[in-house]
Amino acid sequence: MKRAWIPAVIVAGVALVALLPVFVKSDYPLGVMIGVLLAISLGAAWNIIGGFAGQYSVGHSAYFGIGAYSIVVLLGRGLAPWWGALAGSFIAAAVALLVGSITLRLRGAYFVLASIAVAEILRLLALWAKSITNGAEGILVGEFPPLTLAGHTITDFTGKPPFFYMALGLAVFCVAVNAVIAHTKLGYYLQAIREDQDAAWSLGIPLSLYKNAALLISAALAAQAGALTATYVSFMDPNSMLGLDVSVRAVLVCILGGVGTIWGPVAGAIVFTLLDEVLLRYLTQSHLLGLGALLIAAILFLPDGLMGLVTRLRQRSRA
Amino acid sequence: MIRLLQAVLGGLLTGGVYALIGAGLSLIFGVLRVINFAQGELVMLGMYLTWLLFTFLHLDPFVSLIVVMPVLWMLGWALEALLLDRMHGALPQNQILLTMGLGLVLSNGAMMAFTSDYRLVSTTYSSSSFMLAGVALSQPLAVSFVLTAAIATALWVFLARTDTGMAIRATAQDRDAAQLMGIDVRRMSRLAFGIGAALAGAAGALIAPTYYIFPQVGGSFTLKAFVVVVLGGLGSVVGAMLGGLIIGITESLSATYISTELKDVCVYSLFLIVLIARPGGLLGKAE
Repeated sequence: MKRAWIPAVIVAGVALVALLPVFVKSDYPLGVMIGVLLAISLGAAWNIIGGFAGQYSVGHSAYFGIGAYSIVVLLGRGLAPWWGALAGSFIAAAVALLVGSITLRLRGAYFVLASIAVAEILRLLALWAKSITNGAEGILVGEFPPLTLAGHTITDFTGKPPFFYMALGLAVFCVAVNAVIAHTKLGYYLQAIREDQDAAWSLGIPLSLYKNAALLISAALAAQAGALTATYVSFMDPNSMLGLDVSVRAVLVCILGGVGTIWGPVAGAIVFTLLDEVLLRYLTQSHLLGLGALLIAAILFLPDGLMGLVTRLRQRSRA
Repeated sequence: MIRLLQAVLGGLLTGGVYALIGAGLSLIFGVLRVINFAQGELVMLGMYLTWLLFTFLHLDPFVSLIVVMPVLWMLGWALEALLLDRMHGALPQNQILLTMGLGLVLSNGAMMAFTSDYRLVSTTYSSSSFMLAGVALSQPLAVSFVLTAAIATALWVFLARTDTGMAIRATAQDRDAAQLMGIDVRRMSRLAFGIGAALAGAAGALIAPTYYIFPQVGGSFTLKAFVVVVLGGLGSVVGAMLGGLIIGITESLSATYISTELKDVCVYSLFLIVLIARPGGLLGKAE
């Protein structure tokens, strides 16, 4: 255990971030930080199936949107948000199991296209099912009931700090799940599948079992990211929650940071969110122009992402 | 019966346009092994170019083909030389993401240039129709179908009968072997991407009189084109033509008998079913 200091640094880092709302009182920087944390959650969720297992889903908006619609629709029917969020993950996992059992046997480009088709079907169904989703007009998210413990009100969910702490908790949880997977049999098997499916198969790794497990975990986490995003933004419609943009964002965060690494989604989410914030200011509604250019530049010049750059620099300093 | 015939013939006419977009996508995939996620955005550029020519030079959209196709061909050539050429041998997912980034740049660039207002190419014949066997058919769509058939035939003759066409097909079949035979495979890639872009531009010009033109219009065409191409088998140009017609008819039948809002759900469901039952496409070989 020569690197025993690493967990200490991580705990200290998270504690430092957790203290931020005490010092930062204005809404804008807190909002940006919530954006970063939500992007970390979504990126880390995608990283499990896309990064470790190498199955490039470009349809994660499906699970993100299921999480968002579950919590909001159930909240509108009077169910407490925690149960709604939990229900969202279960529904997303069930859909992932169904989708995965059908599409995960497809390879390369075919899997990518199938994942987009599934997300697109869900978006169109959400536009159609007006009695549940209010169609393209969208839903304004209702107020959260205050959280009470033994008669004391802990928070009434006004202002940004409560959402900041929920987003921080979710981001830490998602990264922790990545770390656990990376160091267990599941992670090793997934990486073997990513490197060479046929070789992994010949070594006796049940491909479809492990790929489905990865998609299921990934979908359940993405649903949580969707649930929290929808309640934080407090408005949702099929295009903003189930659109291709969401799926591309999940992939882009990981590409920027480093696909299949534990810290990649964190680094990617920070760079992505800050850049998007700047672009939004200067390009307003065309801000995706900057993201597209960024995506092209990242793939041409940084194919292994920021973490790949870090590894390369470290190797150079050692040599 | 008339309703069925109306749906089938109407679907066939729109399907022709999908076939053209799909054929371009399929050609690009065949030669470069890259799925071009910006194909719909190239259609969008073709539509805007047609709109510009119509609004400022009063050029008929069908005549503007002779401008739109060469311009898009050059653009495709340049994009291949600048971006995709550097990606040869890269991970397929990175190539996909590169073209996705390109699509975002093109659609948002168009939004900056033209704003997100809906544009129309309102010709005198935009909404006129004629009767065929008791069925009313849109006149501009019928003209575009005839032109589509002409372009498709020209493409087929080019690929099947000319030396350059044969070189393109050889590159698609086996890049290394083609190179050993002295074919300039990088030039063939540029040519293929150029032709693919020109076909997308042509489709844009052909549907300009009947569609709203706005920066995000490309996205739905990209998705449709994938469905078309996978149905016909990735890399098969003839398959893409067939796929386009099938998708056009499916769309129109489900709009008539199920619901206009759910027609694309039917199209994507059909896509998933074919993908699972025949992963190599209807005409393609299973991989």
